[in-house]
Amino acid sequence: MQLRISIQDGAPIYQQIVEQVKYLVAAGRLKPGDEVPPIRVLAEQLRINPNTAARAYLELEREGIFTMRQGFGTKVAQVKKLLPRREKLRLLAEPADRLLTHAHHLDVGLDEVIALLRERDAAMQPESSR
Amino acid sequence: MGHGSRSGWQTPTGALLWEIWGQRKVNFAFHAAALLASLFSVWCIKHGADEMVERVLIMVMLSCFLGAYLDLLTCFGYIDADARKIQLGYPARLLLKPVSTLRLVLVPMLFGGAVVAIVLLIWNHWILQPLVHLSALNPFWLGAVILSFFWWMQALAWSLPLMPGRSLIMLIVAVIHLGVGLMPLLPASGLAGWQWPSLAVLLVTALLTARIGLGLMREGKWEGPPRINLFCSRWDSARTRNTREKFGSTFGAQFWLEWRRQGLILPGVTAGMMFVILPLIFVVQQQTGEPARGADFIKILVSLTLLIPLMISSVMGANIARFDQLQPSNELPVYIAVRPMTNGGLVIAKLAMALASSTLTWLAVLVVAVFWLMVLQTHWLITQAATVPPFGVLAIAIGCVPLLMLLILYTWKNLVAGIGAGLTGRRWVVGLFTGWKTVAAIALIGLFSAAKFNDELRSTLRHWLPELLITALVAKVAITIAIFICESRRKVITPGCVGWIVGGWLAGGLFVAGYAGLICRAIHDSDLWLPIALGGFLILPLPDLAIAPLALAWNRHR
Amino acid sequence: MKYPSPSSAEAVISVSGLSRHFGPKRALDEVSVFIPRGSVLGLVGENGAGKTTLIKHLLGSLKALAGSVRVFGLDPVLDPVGVLGRVGYLSERRDLPCWMRVGEFIRYTQAFYPGWDATYAAQLLEQFQLDPVQKIKTLSQGQQAKTGLLAALAYRPELLILDEPSSGLDPVVRRDILEAIIRMVADEGRTVLFSSHLLDEVERVADHVVMLQQGRVVLNGRTEEVRAGHISAVLAFAQPPGAAPMLTGAHAVTGYGSEWRVLFGGSRTELVTAAARVGARVVEERTPTLDEILVARAGGKAS
Repeated sequence: MQLRISIQDGAPIYQQIVEQVKYLVAAGRLKPGDEVPPIRVLAEQLRINPNTAARAYLELEREGIFTMRQGFGTKVAQVKKLLPRREKLRLLAEPADRLLTHAHHLDVGLDEVIALLRERDAAMQPESSR
Repeated sequence: MGHGSRSGWQTPTGALLWEIWGQRKVNFAFHAAALLASLFSVWCIKHGADEMVERVLIMVMLSCFLGAYLDLLTCFGYIDADARKIQLGYPARLLLKPVSTLRLVLVPMLFGGAVVAIVLLIWNHWILQPLVHLSALNPFWLGAVILSFFWWMQALAWSLPLMPGRSLIMLIVAVIHLGVGLMPLLPASGLAGWQWPSLAVLLVTALLTARIGLGLMREGKWEGPPRINLFCSRWDSARTRNTREKFGSTFGAQFWLEWRRQGLILPGVTAGMMFVILPLIFVVQQQTGEPARGADFIKILVSLTLLIPLMISSVMGANIARFDQLQPSNELPVYIAVRPMTNGGLVIAKLAMALASSTLTWLAVLVVAVFWLMVLQTHWLITQAATVPPFGVLAIAIGCVPLLMLLILYTWKNLVAGIGAGLTGRRWVVGLFTGWKTVAAIALIGLFSAAKFNDELRSTLRHWLPELLITALVAKVAITIAIFICESRRKVITPGCVGWIVGGWLAGGLFVAGYAGLICRAIHDSDLWLPIALGGFLILPLPDLAIAPLALAWNRHR
Repeated sequence: MKYPSPSSAEAVISVSGLSRHFGPKRALDEVSVFIPRGSVLGLVGENGAGKTTLIKHLLGSLKALAGSVRVFGLDPVLDPVGVLGRVGYLSERRDLPCWMRVGEFIRYTQAFYPGWDATYAAQLLEQFQLDPVQKIKTLSQGQQAKTGLLAALAYRPELLILDEPSSGLDPVVRRDILEAIIRMVADEGRTVLFSSHLLDEVERVADHVVMLQQGRVVLNGRTEEVRAGHISAVLAFAQPPGAAPMLTGAHAVTGYGSEWRVLFGGSRTELVTAAARVGARVVEERTPTLDEILVARAGGKAS
C-alpha cells in the first residue's frame, strides 16, 4: 500500500490517508481481504505521528473499509460494494473539475469533451476488458 | 592611490606579524607586567628580604618565566589551546595565501626566536644572575638550547598531523634537548667538545623539518605513516574490547570518568619531573664537588623529593573542579549535568579520584626514586640510614608506610582544598578565593617572620597556641554545620554524602593524631602532640568539601 | 486559541507563568505550556525566540526565577535525580564528551539508568551504523547526533526532549532520526517535546504546536487546529490600493495592483468582514502550511 502525504495540501494528514486509501480501493489496487501494514509500520514509512495513522485507520474502520481484529492485523473489508456510488462520484469530482477547466481555457465545448471521453474509453477497452 | 611607499605592515611579513600581535596583545601586556614585577622583586630581595620570602618570590618568578615561554610558543607556533581540541598545525587560511612556504616558516620562527632570545637575555641578566650563582652553566648555552627547543616545538606542531604517536615524538625531542643541554656538565665523557656543533645541527634540522613538513602539508602529500596508525588503532580496539561490560553503580561510572580525565595527570607529571630532576641533582653535586655523603646533600635530596610532588599538587589543585578540559567555559558539561546524579555524588566521585591519584603519585615517586638510587649506585643511602639506631631496615620500611600515607593525605588536601570555589563555575569566585588564600598566606608568613625576630611575640604565641588552635577548630566545625543545614534545606545534600565527608575528615584527623602521638612518644616530647593533632584536624579540609555540593548546584542550576 | 490545561496529574510537563531575563534581554515572557502524557509537542519559533531557554528550564539547567516549572509533578531543580532519570535529552549542539569513544559513552550512560535496555541499545547501534571503538571527536555531525539520540533512547525514557534534532544534518540522517523517534512514540505513554526549524517535520509528527516569538507564546494548540485557524486568501480590490492594505487580523499581506494575498488569523466570516471593510472580496482561499504561518507571524508585517 503506497501512499503519499503532502504537507502543502490543505487537508489534514489523516484525511489525506483516508482519501488515498479510498481511491486505492476504488481503483482495485487494494482488493477485499488484502492485508494492510499495521499502524506503527505505516507511521514509520510515512514519517508521521502514529496517532495520526491510528486516527486514519479508525476512520476507515468506521466507514467500513477496514476491519481490525486483535491478533489478525488490519485487512480490507470483505464487502463487495465497499464504496457507495456517491462516494465514488465524489472522488471523480476533482479530476473532472480539472478537465473542465482545461477545456474552458482551450475553448472546447462540453459535447466535444464527452465525445473525447467516449473515444478514450474505446481505446482503453482491450486493456480494461481483462 | 600612490604606489610609492607602502606602510611596513602591508607586506606579507608585516601582515603575518600584525596578526600575531593583534591576537596576543593582552598576553604580551601581561608578560611585560610580570617582567616588571619580577624586576621589582629582585630589587626587593637585593635590599634585604626574608629568606623564605626570597624563596617564594623566586618560585613565582620562575613560573612567570615558564608561563611566558609557553605562551610565546603557542603564539608563534599557531597553537590554539582554547577550542574544543588543541589545534595543532599551521592555520589553513594562511596556507592558502600567495606567500612562499619559506616565508611562512621563517616569519614565526625568526621573529618568535628573537622575542624568546630577548626575553631570555633580560631574564638572565637582570633576574637570574643577581640571584643565583651558577658557574657551571653558561647562560648563553642554556639560552641557545631553549631556543632550539622552541624551534623544534614549532616545527613539530606544524608538520605532524593528528596521529597517536605525536606526543611520543615530542617527548623524544625533549629528551634529546635535555641530553644535549647537559653535555657541558659531563667533561669526563669527552662529549663536551661537541656541544656547539650538536646544537647547530639541532637548529638547522629544526628549520629543515619545519620547511619540509609544512611544504608537504601544504601540498597535501603528508597523511601520516599509515602503518603506525594501523598499529595504534588495532591496539586501541583490542584494548576497548577487553573492558568490562558495565559499571556496577553510578559512583563507579563517575569515578571512571574523573579518572580518565584527570587521574593520571598528577602521577604522570610528578613522576616525569622526578625522573628528570633526581639524576640532575646528582650530576650537579658531582660538578660542585660536594662530598656525596654529606648531610647537606642528603637534606637537599630528601626535601626536593618530598616538596616537588606537594608543589605540583597544589598547582594542579586548581584543575580539580574542571570536568572537561576541552570545554572552554566553566559550566558543567551538559552530558554530566543531565545525568540523574546527585550533586553530592558528583563531588564524592571527584574526591575519590583525587585520593586515588595522590596514592598513585607517591607510589610512582617511590618507584622512580628507588630506580635512580639503584642505577646511580647510591643505595648506600638506605643502608646508611638503616645503621642509625634504634631503627633497622625493617623499621624504616614499616615506618615509611604511615609517612607515605601522611604525604598522600597532604597531597590529597592540596588537590581538593579549592574544590568548592572551582565547582561554582564562576571565574570571579575562584579569583576571590585565590585572593583570600594569598592574603591569608602572606599574613601567616608575616606573623612567622615577625615571631622569628620578636621574642615576646614568639613566647605569647607559644603560650596561647593550644587555645588558638581549639578556637579555630570550633569555628571550622561551626561553619561546616551551618553549611550542612543550609544545604539540607535546599535539598542539595544527602545523609550519605555528609557521612563520607565528615567521616573522611575524622578518619584523616585521627590518623594524623595517632601518628603524631607515636612519634612524640619516640622523641619524648609530649608537649608537641596537642598542637600537631589539632593542626591535623585544622589543615584537613572540611568546610571546603561541605560547601562543594552547594557550589556545584549553583553551577548546575543557573 | 488556548489549549485547555489538564490537571497536573495528567500533565507530564507543566510550565506556568515562566519569565526569564538575561540582563536587559527578555528571553521568556509569561510562558505557560502543558503537555499531557503520550503527546508529541513541536516547539517552533525563530532563532532566539526562547525555545532552548524553555527547554533548559525543564531540565533544571536554569532555575525558574519567575513562575513555576514542573516535570512529572517534580521541580527539576530540587529533585534532579527524580526528573532526569525519566528524561532523555538531546541538545542542539549535541554536547558529547569528545574524548570518549562511542562504546565508552554508552557504557557510562548505562550506569545511570536502571531501565536501560541493552538489546535495544545494541539494535540501535547497528541500525545507526555506529562503531563503538571510534572516538566521538572523529565522528561526523550526523553520527554525533545519532550517538546522542541512542544514549537518550536506550533506556526508554518517559519523556524525550530534543532540541533541534535535525539541524545541520543531511536528509538521510534526518529520516533515520525521525523514524527512531516515531518508533518510540508508538510505545504506550511516551511523551516527546522537540523544537525544530523544519516545519514539515513538525507538521507530520507533532500533535500539538507551540510557537514562541520573542519569548512569548503566540500559538498553542493541536496542529490541525492551528492550521485551521488561519486562512491564506487572495483578495481582489475593485480599486487598486496605493499601498499594502491594512486588515485587522492579517499577519502578512503581499501583492501588487488589485490582487493581494493575505495570511489571516481567524474564521472565514471574520475574513470576509475584514475584507469588506477595506473594499475587497475573497476570490481564493486555502489552509496555509505551518511554515507560511510562522514566517507570516514572525515577519510582523501588516496590522
